[in-house]
Amino acid sequence: MSPRLADLRGDVRAFAAASLKELRILRRYPGTILSFVFWPIALPLAFVFQAQAFSGGRADTAAAFAERTGTHDVAGFLFVGWATYMWLSLILWGPGTSLRTEQVRGSLEAIFLTPASRLVVLFGPAISQLIWAIWIFVVVGIALWVGFGVAIGPVEALRALGVILVGVPALYAIGALFAAVVLRFGQVNALVQGVRGLFTAVCGMSFPILVLPDWAQVVALSLPPTYLIADLREVLLIGTGIGRIVGDLVVLAGMGLVLGILAVVAFRRTEQYARRGGRLAQY
Amino acid sequence: MGTYAIEASGLTKDFEKGRRTIWQRLRGEADRRETFRAVDGVDLQVREGEVFGILGPNGAGKTTTMRMLATLLEPTSGTATVLGHDLVTESRAIRRRLGAVLSGERSVYWKLTARENLEYFAALYHVPPQQTRERIVEILEAVHLTDRADDYVEKFSTGMRQRLVLARALLPAPSLLLLDEPTVGLDPQAARDLRERVLQLRDEGRTVLLTTHYMEEADQLCDRIAIVDHGQIVALDTPDGLKRSLRATEVVRIEISAPDAAEARLVRRFDGRGTITRQERVDGALHLTVHCSSARDLVPLVIDAARLEDGEVRNIQVQPISLEDVFISLTGRALRE
Repeated sequence: MSPRLADLRGDVRAFAAASLKELRILRRYPGTILSFVFWPIALPLAFVFQAQAFSGGRADTAAAFAERTGTHDVAGFLFVGWATYMWLSLILWGPGTSLRTEQVRGSLEAIFLTPASRLVVLFGPAISQLIWAIWIFVVVGIALWVGFGVAIGPVEALRALGVILVGVPALYAIGALFAAVVLRFGQVNALVQGVRGLFTAVCGMSFPILVLPDWAQVVALSLPPTYLIADLREVLLIGTGIGRIVGDLVVLAGMGLVLGILAVVAFRRTEQYARRGGRLAQY
Repeated sequence: MGTYAIEASGLTKDFEKGRRTIWQRLRGEADRRETFRAVDGVDLQVREGEVFGILGPNGAGKTTTMRMLATLLEPTSGTATVLGHDLVTESRAIRRRLGAVLSGERSVYWKLTARENLEYFAALYHVPPQQTRERIVEILEAVHLTDRADDYVEKFSTGMRQRLVLARALLPAPSLLLLDEPTVGLDPQAARDLRERVLQLRDEGRTVLLTTHYMEEADQLCDRIAIVDHGQIVALDTPDGLKRSLRATEVVRIEISAPDAAEARLVRRFDGRGTITRQERVDGALHLTVHCSSARDLVPLVIDAARLEDGEVRNIQVQPISLEDVFISLTGRALRE
């Protein structure tokens, strides 16, 4: 076996081990998992009540909502939007926080002392982010079914899983870009807060982007969460098949590829910078 | 002469002092930060199979040298080969055969068991899966952690975690081990265990490069020692060779109460029987440190000199020459200053 192929096989195993490590650690914090039963229900519920208050329960306002969103299901619309927001928040914080924790603990240097590819440390925790996504959407699905009688069938759930899988690379790549910032500047909080604010403002967590000004819609359409939220609503609430949103999914996958390459390049450059300045273990 | 595990030539590392703000960068202002030379043209040859020590005070450049040799830090200038590979262009090849304990005992995952920690790092070290289980069992046995292998690391003592960090470094079956201050923070028993393990590693044929500021540790473990100060190697030899370089076998520390005016005459009475490396007044008493070849000959002369100059010997201590004395004679200051 050529050394290059041996390295590749080794890196695949290292990636699997990094994912397993993340899942093991996640399993040992059951309190965190339980907290994500409460928030995916409480946060959108507040917006559902707000919507009810604004609409006054009138037929014309409900029709206006349906015209703009394609569904009469206000609760479903808000629950899916905010569930995506919560998952997105976890992803934005995830890789950067994980890298920062490794840096402060000293294990980042220990990882960099191994022959494993640097991308293992960058993308290894991605699998646990997928678990979080599934967990949040399961909680939301149950809440919609029990609280509002919105039943999501297995076919819709499978389609949603497909959308999530296509969306993971793009969202995770954004998180990985933040991880590169962590290695460069040591902290990422302000940037993450800013980007999260931008996503909340324009990506349509609690409203259809049609209500935005034209320029803001252009911004929204350049951001991956917009496609993810819209497509999840399509498959979960309207029953649209994957075939009809394939264009969106291609765009989402393309964004994932571009952002992924950007993240890898940024991470390599910041690693080089850290290696020159001795910042791998600095905090 | 055997081959070398490490060959470094003119290895130098500069760091910039202070920060350059984003505003300064955006404005394109010139970088006016001062540089600090942490390692200054180090030439080093570490033979295969030896325990080589880098001894020096805090801030002498030991850790920076280690981090460069571990491929974690890019040298500013100079060249080095580690295990036959170029430090800069073949770093991944070096890391395949290198074990290192550079970070502290906190650098393991506390919410994983010792075995799970090692499983994770075994994968990162590309240990073949069919060998992983057996190798972990052997290594846990070697660092005496077998009976705690499946406990969470958060329940470990500092010494146990340090042994786990050493176990992690042994995962790639390394030809070369870099140990940076491996016994700092350990209790005496744990430190003794670790030193024994280092000697076992040498017996297994591995090369060990360690840094320490404990002279006894360097004396006990190392086949050769480089004494570093201000980023430079100021002496390099075997522990005995370094001590012999002082041309003395014993160090005599003397405290004498004597009038200030008599000090010069008093010292002249036994000058020539040794080398005075320290002469200062503390609370009115004269404190002297003298390197000599025979304390048996020197001490009576000191007592006589004190008596003749109306003084009194308060205290005399005689000890064999140590690496600390070598360091003081080379740098003019103590290791722990």
